[in-house]
Amino acid sequence: MGTYIARRLVQGIIVLLAVSMICFFIFRYTGDPVVTMAGLYATQQEREEVRRMLGLDKPMIEQYGLFLWNALHGNFGKSYVTRVPALGLILERFPATFELAFTAVLIAFCTGVGLGILVSIKPYALQNRIIMAASLGGISIPTFLIGILLIMVFSVFLGWLPPFGRGETVQVGFWRTGLLTWSGLKHLLLPALTLALYQLAVILRLTRAGMREVLAEEYIKTAWSKGLYPFSVIFKHALRNAMIPVVTISGLQFGEIIAFSIVTETIFQWPGMGNLLLTSIYETDQPVIVTYIMIAAVIIITMNTLVDILYAIINPKIRYD
Amino acid sequence: MVGIPRKLLTSVLCAGLILCLWGPAQAQTSLVVAVDSAPRMMNPHGDDSDAGLSFMANFFDGLLQRKGPEGELLPALAERWEHPDEFTWKFYLRKGVTFHNGNPFTSEDVKFTFERLSDPEVSEFINTGKTIESIECPDDHTVIIKTKTHIPWFANNMHQIFIMDKESTEARDPGEVMVRPIGTGAYKLVEWVKGSYVTMEANEDYWEGAPQIKKVDVRPITESSTRFAALASGQVDIVTGVPVELFDKVEKNPKLEVSRRPARRSIFLAMGNKEGSPLADVRVRKAIYMAINEDEIMEKVMRGHAFPAAQIPDPPTIGYRKDLKRLPFDPEQAKKLLEEAGYPQGFEVTLTGPNDRYVQDKQIVEAVAKYLAKVGIKAKLDVKPKSIFFPEVAEGKLEFYLIGWFDGTFDMGRTYSKLGHTRDEEEGYGGLNGANYSDPDIDALLESTFDMVDVDEREKALQELNRMAMVDKIVWIPLHYQEDLYAVQKDKGISFTPRPDQWMVYKEITRQ
Repeated sequence: MGTYIARRLVQGIIVLLAVSMICFFIFRYTGDPVVTMAGLYATQQEREEVRRMLGLDKPMIEQYGLFLWNALHGNFGKSYVTRVPALGLILERFPATFELAFTAVLIAFCTGVGLGILVSIKPYALQNRIIMAASLGGISIPTFLIGILLIMVFSVFLGWLPPFGRGETVQVGFWRTGLLTWSGLKHLLLPALTLALYQLAVILRLTRAGMREVLAEEYIKTAWSKGLYPFSVIFKHALRNAMIPVVTISGLQFGEIIAFSIVTETIFQWPGMGNLLLTSIYETDQPVIVTYIMIAAVIIITMNTLVDILYAIINPKIRYD
Repeated sequence: MVGIPRKLLTSVLCAGLILCLWGPAQAQTSLVVAVDSAPRMMNPHGDDSDAGLSFMANFFDGLLQRKGPEGELLPALAERWEHPDEFTWKFYLRKGVTFHNGNPFTSEDVKFTFERLSDPEVSEFINTGKTIESIECPDDHTVIIKTKTHIPWFANNMHQIFIMDKESTEARDPGEVMVRPIGTGAYKLVEWVKGSYVTMEANEDYWEGAPQIKKVDVRPITESSTRFAALASGQVDIVTGVPVELFDKVEKNPKLEVSRRPARRSIFLAMGNKEGSPLADVRVRKAIYMAINEDEIMEKVMRGHAFPAAQIPDPPTIGYRKDLKRLPFDPEQAKKLLEEAGYPQGFEVTLTGPNDRYVQDKQIVEAVAKYLAKVGIKAKLDVKPKSIFFPEVAEGKLEFYLIGWFDGTFDMGRTYSKLGHTRDEEEGYGGLNGANYSDPDIDALLESTFDMVDVDEREKALQELNRMAMVDKIVWIPLHYQEDLYAVQKDKGISFTPRPDQWMVYKEITRQ
């Protein structure tokens, strides 16, 4: 296990290097920040001065080397737009994204597994067929459409839930949370649902497939014939064995939801990292874009490694050599 | 309302209004506003876009300010100003004004502010900063600014240069200065949660008198459909930047009231005139002008939310001419002109434009290309995001492009020196002359206005320049002025008049 983790660590560093290099070079070509930063009425000479100040007049390789050296020291550069350190700017948004992702995964996992079990027990009942058909919709309807539909119904027509933002938030240490106020929870519901729907459908289908397979096994038949309570058979004997792929997928998705909930955050104007990324791309704020993608890569690599390790713990048959 | 004479109604309303003003102060009038762009920082010099200045105008004051539908230039932190000779500007400062932290406002703060402008680390107004030769403070309430060259529009720009407190700006950490504004403005910042909201409270000691609305909650919502949902669900009182495609819905909603005004920004086409290229022939330029059916663009593409333009400046700008008319839409005449110019078969040209900057910008460019095709000109479309488009304009790489403009100084001179003058790195002219247009007559006439002090003389010269550019030379092809659209909740007693510069200045808004 130790060697495995060490190897994953080395791989992770190589991936990060590659990611940083690709982003750095690609986003140099998406626009020139100097024109905006020097001001609309700047002369060519004034623009050159700003270019020198940002170090953009140096050769690309030198710029990249400098960027890596600074990044190693935890300095990812200053945002061109807000002129404060990029890393701080992104980390400030992390709590909002984390709370949204966490709530979404929680909704998706609980509802998905619950419905999955329900459906697997009586697969041919009418209501269960309807659930399965709906889950297909959940997988295939794009997130932005779901978000807009939910806003239309719950905010504009019914007026029950607010359509945007985080509502009232409370600062707890460095963490700004919206989970502690009624308004914060109300604001969280719609975006979390939007983000959860796809995951929910996937988990539902996975659980159903796993459960149907396991329920046909000999040892389940034995459990039934022993006269065990249905609760015990389903949850203790069947579900635990059907859960392994579900846990793996949920874990992997959690990382992705944190890193890429861009669409949902934009529709609901959720003040998270995804929203910041999109604004930064519009404004060619290269330091923020590169730092963000590096952070996203770190999150996904970490989640994948954690899932791999968890996998070995849940299922002793798996070995990493 | 039938049967009640309108006069009576008006006078009752007026009486009510006066009573309200006289009556005891209401408990905390507040306002929630959804705006279409988020503030980037709370440093008043770091962002020269109107979206940014719109926030800063509430926390800070300039030496002068602009008010009213025509943007009239009025005193603010300076009570009056003089222009004794062509390089000197003398401002007499208001006494007894304090910053939000209690520091008195003096001439040292003005000097500090103007020196700060030329530091590219914190300023996007380096052009203004670098034109200043020296700043003298003979006493606490007088400032004498000398410029390096003659800048006739210097005072016209003073409403957007916001004065900072020297002591607290120097003493505080630079990062703190970026997020916590300390100005003299009508509002103090309560909290700025990035990406979520900006809340402000009235500055009770404001020199113009405390503003009527005590608490303002500004929520930037960049996604237009979400902004509309926030308004329709009653979450916000005022919304800026109503998109043209949602306008009908807003207007039909009985709970909402639409507020519209012609925007200052004009949308136009700019062309180069490199020798030997077809565009160098004024007949070709005229042909392109006449081939474009602007009425149809305004009706179909802008959905009626635009006003025809026959020139680049808008009516309140010095240099605007009432008598300029658009060339008629006449494709037959356009074809004839092309034939006369020696291009009966037309020619090829690349038409560039942004796709995320102006209202329906991409659609306008596409429409123009279609009209040109009808007279035989093959326009190759090259539409791109503004972050790529504007650097290309700045480098002068383009041939034929769509751009929009309005000048915060209300003086056409500055616009022309950046957009129309031959590119000249030494003098700093033509910095946004994206297609390298160059005409010695235009340059000479423009340069002759640089040392004109007298407003009337200046106006005459700029009007002549405008006529020459629009009629004789067809430097640009004007299309239309955009329309600014706002929506306000009805029955909430909000009185709001949009400003020409699109700024949201909350001291000007009142609520019953």
